[in-house]
Amino acid sequence: MDLQYTTEQKLLRESAGKFLAASYDYTSFQKISGGEPGWSAAIWSEFARFGWLGLPFAEEQGGIGGGPVEVAILMEAFGKSLVLEPYLSSVILGGGLVEALGSQQQRESLLPPLIEGKLLLAFAYQDTSSPVKAQRNGSNYVVSGTKNTVLGAPGAHQILVSAALGDGATAVFVLPRSTPGLTIRPYPMVHGARAADIDFGAVVVPEAALLGGNQNAADAIDRVIDSAIAALCADAVGAMTAMVARTVEYTKTRVQFGQPVAKFQALQHRMVEMKVREEEARASCLFATLSLAGPAAQRARAVSGAKAKIGRCARAVHQAAIQLHGAIGTTDELSLGAYAKRLLAYEMLFGTTRDHLRRYAAIISDPGIAAAGLLYDQARS
Amino acid sequence: MDLHLDPEDLAFRDAVRRFLDENLLPATRRATALTTGFINDPEVAVVFHRALHRKGWSVPHWPEKYGGTGWTQVQRYLFEAECARAGAPIYNGAGSNMIGPVLMRFGTDEQKKKYLPRIVSGEDCWAQGYSEPGSGSDLASLRTRAVRDGEHYVINGQKIWTTHAHKSNRLFALVRTSTEGKKQEGITFLMMDTGLPGITVRPIIGNGGDHEFNEVFFDDVRAPVAGRVSEENMGWEVAKYLLEFERGGNPVAGRVRAQFARLATLIGKKCPGDADIVARLGELGTDLDAMEMIELTAVSALQTGGNPGPVSSLLKLRWSQLRQQLAELAMDAVGVEALRWIAARPLYDTLQLPADEEQMLSVMPRYLNYRAYTILGGTSEIQTGILARSLLGL
Repeated sequence: MDLQYTTEQKLLRESAGKFLAASYDYTSFQKISGGEPGWSAAIWSEFARFGWLGLPFAEEQGGIGGGPVEVAILMEAFGKSLVLEPYLSSVILGGGLVEALGSQQQRESLLPPLIEGKLLLAFAYQDTSSPVKAQRNGSNYVVSGTKNTVLGAPGAHQILVSAALGDGATAVFVLPRSTPGLTIRPYPMVHGARAADIDFGAVVVPEAALLGGNQNAADAIDRVIDSAIAALCADAVGAMTAMVARTVEYTKTRVQFGQPVAKFQALQHRMVEMKVREEEARASCLFATLSLAGPAAQRARAVSGAKAKIGRCARAVHQAAIQLHGAIGTTDELSLGAYAKRLLAYEMLFGTTRDHLRRYAAIISDPGIAAAGLLYDQARS
Repeated sequence: MDLHLDPEDLAFRDAVRRFLDENLLPATRRATALTTGFINDPEVAVVFHRALHRKGWSVPHWPEKYGGTGWTQVQRYLFEAECARAGAPIYNGAGSNMIGPVLMRFGTDEQKKKYLPRIVSGEDCWAQGYSEPGSGSDLASLRTRAVRDGEHYVINGQKIWTTHAHKSNRLFALVRTSTEGKKQEGITFLMMDTGLPGITVRPIIGNGGDHEFNEVFFDDVRAPVAGRVSEENMGWEVAKYLLEFERGGNPVAGRVRAQFARLATLIGKKCPGDADIVARLGELGTDLDAMEMIELTAVSALQTGGNPGPVSSLLKLRWSQLRQQLAELAMDAVGVEALRWIAARPLYDTLQLPADEEQMLSVMPRYLNYRAYTILGGTSEIQTGILARSLLGL
């Protein structure tokens, strides 16, 4: 058991924080989120230059070989600075799936341009009342149905889509956005990021578009989505940290009744509660992050537990932050509202707090698992 | 970073499990499971304590020269977690977690020689005389007077909330030896025998039915000066040092985890299909995972020689609330049956029912008693005030 950050990890945190503090303030966030395409190509190429786009990928793919902890460090910095660039959708989800499932040829054709910042991916996995299915037709597949809330799809060059095959297995196809029959309906979300719903109208795709060939992709999809949830948890921790710090700072400078309002015990206790929520969220996030590589049962418990716990913490923190700022907290004059919206997006994406609480509760109701602490025996699991 | 147990830690954990299998008697496990107060009765706990002592494990966190084990932080953590999981009782924290560390830091050689071995062996049971009727959170305002008379202090006054004073042979107390200057500057730390003439112990029965707390009255009690720790009027420094151990000290997640696991079992039997109850269990599980992770992070920092920061107040704040919420959910899960009341204590001597029914009768007393968790050892409001200063710089 070791929960200390290495020197390299501390350096990554420091350099990410420094760069974003200098180039991604609230004004630039407002400019980027209010315009098109909703993210900055200049910032994205900086991310590529720092090697961040290759952070989670193996060195033989041109990546840095970082793990979940490094990704979490970066995501926390993104959350702290309200970064809108499609890192989660393109690198963690898109790239993560390609690395997990793709053939050598697919990895070699997709990952290097992704890492260089020239290729953007998006993963359509969220089914609707018209779930996406794929039917074999000679040497082709015919893909039909609708996916919603596809993060980063409006700017993506290639769309990865999960589809149910006839035999109960799940496949993932990689399709260029210009594929005939594929309709992308883009929209902005409350926190400034872009998403789309995508209709697949009997899209004919060649077998070569199957990511990794004819294997059942369901486990790999679960794993990659869990890693995206853990990354999003870190983003939320970053956003919460900023909200708590700003609230404490504000109450130290806001003078009423002849003294800073931070002197009032009622406010102090409320802010301690916010800080405790932040620390709990950070701890939950770390548990999820470190469990990504662990056995599936531990991973599901940790990831769903963290998603639910941080969801509750995030709700409490954003509400308290607005309240303690008073009237100004309800406006767009300060960045506070942008953080609140980002945390709301956190709560809803990849399954709501309630969804994950149910998943977690079902796991933890088993008395054997309920009794098990967080430390585990890697060899026997 | 990782959460793996390495082979040595696994071997250690297995050794602890074997020891518990062999030495933790079924009667002791049952008595622990049916204990509804905060701490176990010394007469139950001392049996297990003696087994630990034979093994050299009775005060694992102490330095080896005083009888400690020299375990790593991770091993201490595993030991506590395994003991909790097996349903082992805890013996007398006032000895091993309070006066013991205080004597190591402030005691004379003679005091160490006289008292420490008897804590290690379990022969002495200690009580803590801190709070007074008018001095709770504002402890330094205490008024129990001690006047020097030759080789004795003559003590008059009253202590309250003295846990297990009626079962302890020794007592340490904060007494006022001066009323000059700041209130913190006139306090002296004294050890004495509870059997001294002039000491009267009056029970306070909690609304959960248990007798754990007492009032202790001092009427011209003559306590030897040899029992003074540190100098006269220097007791506040000693008192604060002791509080660090009371509030920090032993790993706690394992105990809360054991309570959580018992609750999961109870819900599985009583109301597995109740979605509200199961959802609340889930929420508390995520709270507990977060708390355990915070504690493990502190353990890891200590293990590598780092400073865990102001984490003990944060942990006290959260574990005390969590233990209350777990007891509350147990009560809600049992429902109307939780109203059945057995007044006699201890329950393990009173009841002779199937295990499930016995457990049911412990649910309400535990809920009621556990309301004190957020009050004793520094209230949640006091901890929050400490965190406002240490975490937020307010």
